[in-house]
Amino acid sequence: MSPAIGSRANPIPAKAGIGLRFQHHQTVIDTRPDVAWMEVHTENYMGGGTPLRYLDAIRRDAPISLHGVGLSLGSAEGLDPAHLRRIKQVAERIEPGLMSEHIAWSVVDGNYLADLLPLPMTEEALDVVCRHVDQMQNYVNRRILVENPSTYVTFRHSTIPEWEFMTAVAARTGCGILCDVNNIYVSAQNHGWDASAYLAGLPPTAIGEIHLAGHAVRQLSDGNALRIDDHGSAVIPEVWALYQEALARFGPVPTLIEWDNNIPPLEMLLTEARRAAAFISDVERGVTHADAA
Amino acid sequence: MPTLLELQRAMRASVVQHDASAMVEALAIGVEPGRLDIYRNTIVSGLTRALRLAFPAVAHLVGDDFFAGAAAAFIREHLPGKAYLDQYGGEFPDFLSGFPPAISLPYLADVARLEWAVSRALHAPDDAPLDLSRLAALSADDQDRVRFQPHPSVSLLQSDFPADEIWRAVLDADDQALGNIDLIGVPIFLLVERGRSGVAVTRLQEPAWQFLDALCRGESLPSAIDCATDVDAPSLLAEHLASGRFAAFLLDADDAIAPSEAA
Repeated sequence: MSPAIGSRANPIPAKAGIGLRFQHHQTVIDTRPDVAWMEVHTENYMGGGTPLRYLDAIRRDAPISLHGVGLSLGSAEGLDPAHLRRIKQVAERIEPGLMSEHIAWSVVDGNYLADLLPLPMTEEALDVVCRHVDQMQNYVNRRILVENPSTYVTFRHSTIPEWEFMTAVAARTGCGILCDVNNIYVSAQNHGWDASAYLAGLPPTAIGEIHLAGHAVRQLSDGNALRIDDHGSAVIPEVWALYQEALARFGPVPTLIEWDNNIPPLEMLLTEARRAAAFISDVERGVTHADAA
Repeated sequence: MPTLLELQRAMRASVVQHDASAMVEALAIGVEPGRLDIYRNTIVSGLTRALRLAFPAVAHLVGDDFFAGAAAAFIREHLPGKAYLDQYGGEFPDFLSGFPPAISLPYLADVARLEWAVSRALHAPDDAPLDLSRLAALSADDQDRVRFQPHPSVSLLQSDFPADEIWRAVLDADDQALGNIDLIGVPIFLLVERGRSGVAVTRLQEPAWQFLDALCRGESLPSAIDCATDVDAPSLLAEHLASGRFAAFLLDADDAIAPSEAA
């Protein structure tokens, strides 16, 4: 049997949480906001000094999820063992309730390209990702979640729909899925997919967490609009609606508000989290999407 | 059909080296290649932001546009080797010293070296300082064979410019202090470390700096004393130990022969 997705010590509840960034460390310490859990980027706590000391203090009040942005599960050349070791060191110190990574790649020939780059949806890429998820789960000795990407291009030789790729990774490795509802919306708009069909294609029992964020819209030279996943604004109504569909299908799931550019005051994040919490309560009370509308 | 590795190399050629043809065959029919600009922009802006965080005084000295241009040129030559960006930018000072547009600011690379040392000190691992009881337990003969390992937050720098005064005045936005700095000064010798109350940048006298530099390079105590004339070695050493400037020590007999000795 695989160990449970959640940690033994500090489980992440099926409630709304917020992404914690450096700008809010001191405010969170000073005001101890009423928030069910928080998530941080693992890479931000790999050094010594003050960031880890803040997180040591903050995690006494709220369980923490570690969300990695740099392991590059989709790299053809394999995982960087030093990066895996740093992730494990942070996890041993922080005792996170959840750990997650992305279905993406960032590293080629040892060069870190500092973005979550798109994978071709091929059997080769699926094998590579599954091998690396197995490697990470064995190394950190727990199940992880993998997040569906937001993408701006697709590849000529892709053969597997993205939702089937996600489902296959979970089925083959036993990992869970971090369902980023904003990413589904962004990619569906950018590639002409049906976002509801994407959600319907994911296995409900594998969903361990949901992400919500804002995105930007840019006009391209060919006259088409492209949606950019910049985490720089509030969640838009269409994504809230898709989130309600996701909850109706998956049941109550830990849900995170992410904000990484133009970071607003903490209160704005808490307001967005309360909105997500209200939708979770509706699902718990059996209020359907149609009733709530 | 490209393998995954071929595709990833093509993507790097496209988004980092601006090779317009690299990805044309790989994109799905109807996907406008201009969409790759989103990845290009994210990579450059993310790495530029990391450099700006590590080199705030340099960014201020040269202005936003110049900094962005220097960063873009640097990024094309020096992609990070780790997905841990606190360690990105170590080659930026040397890059600036050879960057023709920066030639009118001869002190810029030294200010950058100081900022890199400060950044290293900020993010250094929380290694425990040397256990003094282990040192005290050594015989007098063995104490002469001790080779210290510096704490990872410690850096030693020298400059022919008052890089520390420039750095402080810029970060304090003190234009008056900046205007009063005499650029034709004397060489300065700096110690950068993370102490109990944060990162400290301290000027040392040259002999004291030479002594500490020799110890940090792993010289034994007698040979470090030879490197520095007229220093009060026992009291300096006591201060370094009390300040936690060393993380560990070896006895020279424990070491493999260093390459220079083997040659």
